[in-house]
This record gives sequence, structure tokens and C-alpha cells, in this order.
Amino acid sequence: MSQAVATPTATKEFTLWQRVYGWITNPWGKPRFLVLITWGYIVWSIAPVLIAIQFSFNNSRSLTVWHGFTTKWYFSDPVDSIWHNASYRGALNQSLKLAALDVLIATPIGVMLALGLARWRGRGSGASNFLMLFPLVTPEIVMGVSLLLLFTQLFTFVNTGTLAQVLGHVTFSISYVVVIVRGRLFSIGRSYEEAAADLGASPSAALRLVLMPLLLPAIVASAAIVFAISIDDFVISQWLSNGANSTTVPMLIYDATRATPLPSTDGLATVIMTITLITVVAGVAVFRMFTRGEGGRGSAVDDVAGFGM
Amino acid sequence: MAGGEVKLIALVKQFGDVTAVDGIDLEMPGAEFFSMLGPSGCGKTTTLRMIAGFEQPTSGQILLDGEDMAFTPPHKRNVNTVFQSYALFPHLSVQDNVAFGLRRQKTPKNEIKQRVGEALELVQLTGLERRKPAQMSGGQQQRVALARALVLKPAVLLLDEPLGALDAKLRKALQIELKALQQQVGITFIYVTHDQEEALTMSDRIAVMSDGRVEQVGPPSEVYEEPSTTFVADFLGVSNLMRVVAHGDSDGRCRVTLGDFELHASRGETHTTGDTRIVIRPERVHLEPHESSGENRVPGIVERVVYLGNSNQIIVILANGDRVQALVQNTGEELTYKQGDPVRVYMPSEALRVLTDTGVAPIDEDALPPVGSVA
Repeated sequence: MSQAVATPTATKEFTLWQRVYGWITNPWGKPRFLVLITWGYIVWSIAPVLIAIQFSFNNSRSLTVWHGFTTKWYFSDPVDSIWHNASYRGALNQSLKLAALDVLIATPIGVMLALGLARWRGRGSGASNFLMLFPLVTPEIVMGVSLLLLFTQLFTFVNTGTLAQVLGHVTFSISYVVVIVRGRLFSIGRSYEEAAADLGASPSAALRLVLMPLLLPAIVASAAIVFAISIDDFVISQWLSNGANSTTVPMLIYDATRATPLPSTDGLATVIMTITLITVVAGVAVFRMFTRGEGGRGSAVDDVAGFGM
Repeated sequence: MAGGEVKLIALVKQFGDVTAVDGIDLEMPGAEFFSMLGPSGCGKTTTLRMIAGFEQPTSGQILLDGEDMAFTPPHKRNVNTVFQSYALFPHLSVQDNVAFGLRRQKTPKNEIKQRVGEALELVQLTGLERRKPAQMSGGQQQRVALARALVLKPAVLLLDEPLGALDAKLRKALQIELKALQQQVGITFIYVTHDQEEALTMSDRIAVMSDGRVEQVGPPSEVYEEPSTTFVADFLGVSNLMRVVAHGDSDGRCRVTLGDFELHASRGETHTTGDTRIVIRPERVHLEPHESSGENRVPGIVERVVYLGNSNQIIVILANGDRVQALVQNTGEELTYKQGDPVRVYMPSEALRVLTDTGVAPIDEDALPPVGSVA
């Protein structure tokens, strides 16, 4: 009897290490390890943000010791609240202004460039498509220095300040629009335009009635992403600013943190983050709404849109 | 709705160094169901796209009812296309998809409504006007694409493998429907396909294409029964092609020698002499007991028997080394021949056809024909 039992159990005796190893490497098991790493990363990356948000409500000037909840850094403090401090309000204003102008200028130009680049076949088209990615991989500091030199040495009619900042933001934002819209264009293909032409639509009518509605989700998604990266930008805004009246929120936070950090700077960051989040979520929601039921189509854009979140 | 006569004259299309269409001359009279049949890359779709106006010919003419359309942009041509992918506008409802072309023509609103209704009735989609394309099955989308093109009452309807994405059963049903629809609306249909069965089923005439050229044009029975080139014989169903030496005509039949065996062929180019090919359809090949004798009989050994459902495909190696396929209807009786059996292959002279060898032969003579590709 004991023999009959002993044989099968003998094969089941694993060391602890073997069990752990088997548990991790079991190809049929649930991907627990993967889930663990993923959640670990999410917590790690969100924790500092949550802490910053928490201390913007701290009832003290401390950014490290919790003294209870207040909204005075947002509204009631007569000197240092976001509501009452002119430099905070100015920075917020400047950031929103830059982001809005960036969206309004970069999106249409980017869409037109994407249309041109996607349709252009022949000598130079490959190079142009590749060069379009350059602003995405160029270190921002290099871009900032180059633009400053450009505006102070060559195009001296552009003064540093808001105009230079807008031009700088537009310069690197266009690439994002082009990449997203061009991806959507490729996934749409030529057949819808051909069908429109076949049914008697002139090229401009085909663009207006067929291509634009199909591109709309990508356009909205890219506008949201442009807004997010513009409002977030520090390096280019810093290089091209001309002092207090072109200070953006990231610049202000940087300066304030080096001098005397207050919960209100955390509050500013929270405000900016909330606005960005709302914009991107709204953009992606619009994208999803318009591409619903298209089944698989535009998944590349979906990735980019999702990436923006 | 008379007219719809299309004439292609010396049509050429080059993409860089590649010649997709290499000088095509075709005449498609009005109200005909005309198919362009050929393997992928034979230039059939490029030809269709040139008729539609999506591609500009490198040279040549496209006459629609006598008028050269080669340089008219697609939105100004009186032809409409049903795309392989359907290309239904995903953001528009069925109603708006079908009405798209009419709105471009500035048709009055009440007429649009009426004609869209009629078109949807024609393709049996009444009641689905509010649906979006994504909410419909493949077959239904196909019908919307048809309605969208037909509602404009074009002189010519171009169809680019419109049934390619559908499953076999639905495809068969739609083949018959399409043919009936063409007869009902009475306009020219130009149909592009690589499926020989589809072309044979629906067409009034077929142009078999290969390498950017037209190999043969004719009614289905003619291109199937009387292929004029080896390519056509091979592409329209499995054929037995054999290299022979022809000795010219004697009393209406061509005497040919296949290895050591003498055969008589009474169809095709019976006056040919010298090296050429003969062809016979598998369904015309008879298998007889080894002992039988008579004209046009060649001994052989059964190499393989393949069950195809409605028939059995029997591959025989002839005494001279050639392989011949015979198709035996499945009548429920047990097959008399098994692998390795000696048989005598009877190829009636009225089923043997002498071909002109155009050199466009996609046939690998030593390779077995693919199983199941029988017409």
C-alpha cells in the first residue's frame, strides 16, 4: 500500500525554489507577475503626483508635513493663493494662451502637411516623411537654443516673448499632428476618396464630405495632444521668454521651487494637470465616439490617442 | 438607358518600369455582361481602374459610346464602380451612402428620396436605410455598394471582384442575383475576377487576360470548350496539356504522335505540323480496362485517386511518362480503379484539341495539378 502511494508523491516533491520558479514560468497560469510589475509601475509613477496634489491642500506652508485640509492656497490666501497672486494668474494665463494658440495654428498646418505627405509620391517624399519625425527626436534643449539663436540673430523681427514662444511651440507640435493624422490617412486608404470621385464628387467635395469626417477623430486627438504638450512645456518656453510677462506655469513652478516652495505652486501644478487631463480625455472620447463600430480601423491612431492619456 | 458601349484601343499602362497593361484592344457592346478574367497581376484591375478614371493610361484610348474618356476625371464619367472593399462611407447611413451621388448631381430632394427607395428595393434592402455600414453583414454591404452605384443610372457599371470577400455559399447566390440584376437594369457590366467559375457563370463574354494582354475573348462556352492558347486552356479549369508532334491535317483530323503513340485530334488548329500541344478536359477523358483496344487509346497506370465529393479525380501516368487527369462522376457506385491498376486511357478525337503555343504557359509540366481546382 505504501509503495503505491509513495511512487506518485515522490514525483510531486518540489523544493520551494522550484515551486516559485514554476509558478512564475507556468505558461498556462494567470499572468500574475506581469500584473504585479504593471501595478508596481503605475503606483510608482502616480504616487508623487498624488502627493503633490495632496500638499496643495495642506493647511500650512510645509510641503512635507500634513497639517490638515484647506483650499486657501487656491482661493482665500490674500497674497499667495492662485486666485489673488498676480504672477500666478499671469503664468496660468500665459500657459493657456500659448496652448490655445498652438492648437489653433499647429493643427490645421499639421493636417495639411499630413495630407500632402501622404499623397506625395516620388523623389523626396521618403526623405520628407522621415524628416517630419525630427522634431520628435531632437532634444528640446537643442531646439530651444536653435530657435533662440534664430530669433536673435537671423529673424530679428521676431522678439522673444509670446510671439517667439508660440512659434517655438508650433514648430515642434506640428510633427505630432502630422504623425497622428498621417497614420489615420494610411489606415483610411484611398478607396473612400475614389468612391466619392466615382459618385461624382469633385476633389474638394471628396475632401470636405468624405475625408474630413473620417479624419475628424484624428484631428481632435492630435489637437488634444498638442494642447497637452504645449501646456506642459518648460524648455522652449523658458528659452524664448523675455521675462515676467511671458512666464508660464512650469517656469513659475521651477523658479518658486528653487526659492520658497509654497503649497500654491503644487496647486498651480494641480490646476494645469486637471486641465490637461480633461482636454486629453475629451479628445480621446471624441475619437472613440467617431470611430465606434469601425472595427479595427485606425487602431494605430487609437494607440497614439491612448498613449496621450 | 441605351448605350454603354466601351471600346479600348491599344490601351497601355506603365508604372515606372512595370508594364501593367500592354496594349489592350477590347470591344464591349452595350448591355453586355463582360468579364475580365485572369490571375492576379494580369492587368485586369488596372484596366478597370483606367475605365473608371482612377488611373491615367500611358497611351491608348477609352471610348465610351464613341467618346474618348481617357483624360476625363473620374467624377465626370458616366460610369460607376463597385469596389472590392465596397468603400461604403462609414460615417454615413445606408440612405446617405446611396444618396451621395444624387446629391452631387443636385437632384431635387423628393426625387432623391424616391430613387434611393427604388435602388434599395432593387437590391432587397428596404427597411435598412438608417443602418450604418458597420452594422451590416458583408453580403448586405455588397448590396449597398451596388445600390449606390446603380442609383446614378450609369451607362456602365464596373465591378472589381465584388464577391471576393464573401463566403462560398453567399457568393454563389449573389452570382445568380448579379446576372439577373444586370438583365433587369440592362446596362453594361464590366466584371473583374480571378475566379473562372464566377466568370463562366455570369458572363455574356469573357476576356481571358495574362501579363497585361488579352489571350482570348469569347462567350463562356467558347473560351472553355475551345481555348485558343495553352494559357486559356490551363486557366479555365484543369486541363491535360501534352507536348506532341503534329503531322498536319488528314481528312479533317490532325495526326499527332505522343511519344510512341499515335492519336487523332479533330479540334483546334488541325493543320499544325511540328512540335505543339494538345489539350483535353479531365471530364472528357475515359478510363477503360487494360485489355480494351482501338483508336486514341494509350495504356497507363493509376497513380492516385482523389475523392472530390461530387466526382473522383484519377491521375494516370501514361506509358510515355505524361500525366493525365480523368474526372469520374460520383454515381454512388464503387470505383473500378485503384492506385497501381493498369488502365487504358481513351481520349476521343472530338475532345482532343490542337493548340497554338503562345509561349505563355504557366504550366509546370511535371507538377501535379492542384487537387480540388477542378471546374
